[in-house]
Amino acid sequence: MKAYLSVFRMRWRMELQYRGAVVGGIICQVFFGLILIALYRALYQTRPQAMPIESVTTYVWLQQAFFRMLLASDGDLLDKIRTGSIAYDLCRPLQLYGYYYVRIMAQKLVGSLMRATPMLVFASLLPKGWGIQAPVSLAAFLVALMGLLLGLLCVCALENITMAFTMRTLDSRGVQAMLNLLMMTLSGNILPLTLFPDSWQKVITLLPYAQLLDAPIRLYSGQWPLTEAPRVLLTQCVWTLLLIGLGLLLWRQNQKRLIIQGG
Amino acid sequence: MDTIKLYFRSMGMLLKSQLQYPASFFMQTLAQLVMEGGEMLAVILIVDRFGQLGHWMPGDLFFFFGMMSVTFYMTEIFGRGVTGNFPSLVRTGQLDTLLLRPRGVLTQVLCSAIDPRRITCIAVGVTALIIGSNMSQVQWTVLKALALAESILLGMLLVLGLFLIEAVFCIHSVKSVELVNAITYGGRSACQYPIDIFPRPLRVLFTVIAPFALTLHVPAAYILSKPLYGWPDWTAFVTPLAGAVLFGIMYLVFQKAMQFYRSTGS
Repeated sequence: MKAYLSVFRMRWRMELQYRGAVVGGIICQVFFGLILIALYRALYQTRPQAMPIESVTTYVWLQQAFFRMLLASDGDLLDKIRTGSIAYDLCRPLQLYGYYYVRIMAQKLVGSLMRATPMLVFASLLPKGWGIQAPVSLAAFLVALMGLLLGLLCVCALENITMAFTMRTLDSRGVQAMLNLLMMTLSGNILPLTLFPDSWQKVITLLPYAQLLDAPIRLYSGQWPLTEAPRVLLTQCVWTLLLIGLGLLLWRQNQKRLIIQGG
Repeated sequence: MDTIKLYFRSMGMLLKSQLQYPASFFMQTLAQLVMEGGEMLAVILIVDRFGQLGHWMPGDLFFFFGMMSVTFYMTEIFGRGVTGNFPSLVRTGQLDTLLLRPRGVLTQVLCSAIDPRRITCIAVGVTALIIGSNMSQVQWTVLKALALAESILLGMLLVLGLFLIEAVFCIHSVKSVELVNAITYGGRSACQYPIDIFPRPLRVLFTVIAPFALTLHVPAAYILSKPLYGWPDWTAFVTPLAGAVLFGIMYLVFQKAMQFYRSTGS
C-alpha cells in the first residue's frame, strides 16, 4: 500500500511541473465553454425546455473544467510497450495493474484540479445564464463530491482497460480513438446527456460513461434529488468494481502472453 | 506549375507509404468515421430536441455542418504538414533541412505530409450536405454549385491561413501554442452553426479575424435561399475572398517570421 502511495505522490509532483502549459489549455477550454453556451442559449431562445438554461450552463462548465479527467492517458506506458522497456516495470515488486492505476489517477486528479479551480472561479463570476450556479444545497455538494471521486475511480479503471487493449495490438490508435469517442459522447462532453432524447435517459445514465461526470453533475445541480443519491452512488460503485475486475483479468492474461519487443 | 507537380508527386508517395500498414490504416480511418459521426450525432440530437435554431430549419443546420466538415477536413488531408506536423519540425530541428533545398519552405512543409485517414470525415460531411440540401429542398443551379465550390476552396485557404498563425508562433517560441487552437478548432466548433445565432463578440471574431462567416456562411445561406442579414446574392461570390486575403496576409507574415528562425539544433 505504501509503495502505491509513493508512486501516486511521484506522479503528482511530476504533473505539477507543467504549470505553464496549463494556462493556454485553460483559456482554450474556457473559450470552448463560451461557444457551447452561446449555442445552447440560442437554441433555448427558439424553444425553451423543461430544464432551465442555468442548469445547462452549469453542466457545460463542470464538463469543461473536468475535461482533463476524461482525456488524459499515460503516454509513458504506450512508449514502454512499444520499446520493450516495460520489462523493467515487470521486475518491480508491485502489481502492474495497481502501479498503473495509481499513476493514472494522480495524473487525472492533478491535471483536472489545476484546470478546474481557475475555470470554476471564472465561471462563477459570469452573469446568470452564462456562468455556473451554486450547488442546490450543501448536502448535494458533498454528495456530488463523493460522486466525483467515485467517477475518478471508475474512469481510471476504464483507462486501464484501454491500456490492456493497447498491449495486445501495439498500434492502438484506432481502438483508442474509438474508445475516446465513446467516452466523449456518452459522458456528456460533446452534448450534455440531459439534452439527449428523454426516451434514452434510462439507458444512457446507467452506462459506465455516465458515471464519470454526468452523475456527479446531476447530483450537484439537483436534477437528481438527495433521495436518489444512494442509488446513484451505488451504481457508480458497482461499475467501478466491475471495471476494475475486468481490467485485472485482462492485464493478468496479457502478462502471461507478453512478448518484449526488443531490448 | 512545376511546384504543383512536385506536390502531387509527394502526395502520391506519402499515400503509398501510409497504405503499407493496411490494418492499422483501416482501423484509424474507421476511428475517424466514428469521431466525425459523433459530431454529427450531436447535430441530429439537437435537431431532435429543439427542432430549429432561430429561423434555421433542421436541413439548414445539416448543410452548415457539412460545409464546415468538408472544408476543414479537406485542409487536414492536403495541408497536414501545416495543420499537424509543423511544431514537431521546429522542435526537432528538421526544418533546417528544408532551408537547404531549392524550394520555398512552405511548399516543402506542405509536401511533407498527407492525412488520408480523414477521408471518412469528408464522407460524413458530404452525407450531411446531401441530407441538408434534400431536407431544405435546395433548387440547385449552376451558380449555386459554383458558389459551393468557391466557398469550400477558399475556406480551405482560410483554415490553412489560421494554422499558419500557429506556425508563426511556433517559429518564435519553439513550443506549439495551444492557445491558437481556440481560433482553429474553436472556429470549427462554433462555425458549424450559422453565425447569426451567436452574440456580437463571437460574431465579430468569426467575421473579421477568422472570417468563417464570410467564406462559408454567406455562400451557404445564399444556396439555402435565406441570405445572411438579407445581403444581395452577389455577395455570396465576393465575401469568400476573405479566406484568400487571410491566407495571403499570413503567407507574408510566415515569410517574415522565417527570417527570424533560429534552429533548435538537432
